[in-house]
Amino acid sequence: MNNVYDALEICLQEIEKGADLETVLRLYPDLADELRPILETSVEARNMAAGGPTPDVLRRGRSRVLQQAAQMREAKAQTSRRLWSVPLRRTLVSLAVIVALFVSSTNLVRAATTTLPGDNLYPVKRTWEDVLVMFTFNMQARQLLEVEHENERLEELYELFAEGRLAKVDFAGTVTRQNGDLWLVSKVPVVISAGTDLRDPPILPGDAVRVRGVTQADGTVLAERVERLSEGTPLPVVDEDDSLENASELSGNENESEEQDSDDDSSGPGSAGTPRPAPASEKVSLDGVVDSIHGTLVVVNGQPMNISGAEIKGTPSTGTTVRVEGYYDASGLFIVTKIEFRDGGSDGGSESDDNDDSNGNDNVDGNQANDNDNSAGDDNDNSNDSDNNDDNANDNSGDDD
Amino acid sequence: MSTPQSAFCTDLPARKPVHRNDILNVKETHFSATTPTRGAAYIMTEFNEQNALEGLRNLDSQAIGAVYDQYFPEVYRYVRYRLGDDTLAEDIASDIFVRLMEASQKKQGPQTNLRAWLIATASNAVNDHFRRSYRRPVEALSEAMPDGGPSVHSEIDAREKQRLVQKAMAHLTSEQQHVLALRFGQGYSIEETAVFLEKNVNAVKALQFRALAALQRQIGEVNYE
Repeated sequence: MNNVYDALEICLQEIEKGADLETVLRLYPDLADELRPILETSVEARNMAAGGPTPDVLRRGRSRVLQQAAQMREAKAQTSRRLWSVPLRRTLVSLAVIVALFVSSTNLVRAATTTLPGDNLYPVKRTWEDVLVMFTFNMQARQLLEVEHENERLEELYELFAEGRLAKVDFAGTVTRQNGDLWLVSKVPVVISAGTDLRDPPILPGDAVRVRGVTQADGTVLAERVERLSEGTPLPVVDEDDSLENASELSGNENESEEQDSDDDSSGPGSAGTPRPAPASEKVSLDGVVDSIHGTLVVVNGQPMNISGAEIKGTPSTGTTVRVEGYYDASGLFIVTKIEFRDGGSDGGSESDDNDDSNGNDNVDGNQANDNDNSAGDDNDNSNDSDNNDDNANDNSGDDD
Repeated sequence: MSTPQSAFCTDLPARKPVHRNDILNVKETHFSATTPTRGAAYIMTEFNEQNALEGLRNLDSQAIGAVYDQYFPEVYRYVRYRLGDDTLAEDIASDIFVRLMEASQKKQGPQTNLRAWLIATASNAVNDHFRRSYRRPVEALSEAMPDGGPSVHSEIDAREKQRLVQKAMAHLTSEQQHVLALRFGQGYSIEETAVFLEKNVNAVKALQFRALAALQRQIGEVNYE
């Protein structure tokens, strides 16, 4: 049988080479009958062979295959990206968020540093201050930082006064004067009203307090709450000269005020130690020394005065003697109509000589601390002024003794 | 160990760029075994199959294009021979190359003999098509007989004869159809056919004989119908 298969294959090869069927069959005469129909069928089978694909078929198929390849590449790339980039992308996004938060918060804090109470970013400033304090573990450094922040509160107040803005404020300080409803806390005039919540009364000059209130256009703070602070609470550091000045005033004024309160009932509102509001619209003239200047508010002998509508003569500066004319408004604030700043601190006026002289003496010396702290020798320096001697004798009587 | 930079840039696995000249050498060689026209030497460029397989795994366009250009005509002829339908042959033949890319991605593609893999896959695809056709038989459109001269009639006769042979061939076994397609459709030698069928030459000779005998019988039966 293998012979038939071999014979068929040989015949097929011969036909493929171009041989005629009959010629091929003559090679195997004994198998010719069997091979003939097979070979004829093979011719039919070979005739079915198609030509190659047309160029169009080739082009279409090629583009389809390459398009499919591109899609598979894209899918593969996406899979790879997903596999690699999910944790990587999360990490990068987290880092970006952290960096953005850090940068934005840093910028926010930087922008907030110059804000004042009432500004939108002011809470950021206060919060940042709290954070700084919280993360300062050295107690000394922390105390310094807190003092710095309290100083900042005062600076904010001065800026608010200068701009005439009304805003809720919160500051600490020492009560240096109490003039009825007008107090001086860290050189800031504070108005005590009936609605003021006074914690732990009585609050006396020299007490450390925290004042919460609202700034007024006249350069005062209308207190909403005043609370006494415990010892050791950081307080703002006011200007040294002023603080000494205030200290001297306080040391003497406490006595003076009590003594002179009774005296000044007759001497009128012009007394420097305990200025007393005169009836509203009553014109008052007084001389004194400028304790401090906050915009349109001038503190003379511890008495805040509004000079916004005043006629001003001379160069305004702290420590100079002034002559002031004005009146007390309904709230008790002294409204200045005329103020004259005098260089050199010469004798002031004639209306309240005792007070004027005492203040004049302080300013002639230019150093109240000496008056208070030094011995009677200092008094002798001032002996050319008899009035001063009286005052100084009173002030320093304890020292002399 | 990859550097951080490379880790960021690994959208795709690092792949060796496959140049078309790596796959197709410029030297021209004669391959009589792959003749589209029987008996004539077929001039083709030398095809570097290993580079092509590497390019396929990387979905390299150059490699895919080269493989397509190299083997599509053979695959198309094979499918066309077995189905007797140009459109179907076009679709199925191009689909074979899509399957080749997918298999390469899954590392199930050919490792050495790309042509054998393509023809075997084409054979399976045709068998699948027949199976689907048996389940959902489609009534062939009646061919209108155009009027015309003797040449037209002879052409129609030839087509009719081809149609009968095609119909008869559809009754053969898949293996018989396969061997006839390889031997008479593709023009492969008995030795090459043996390689494709993974049989020895004598077995292929016997299979070839039985396939032709079966076809002869089926043609007779189809004619009788």
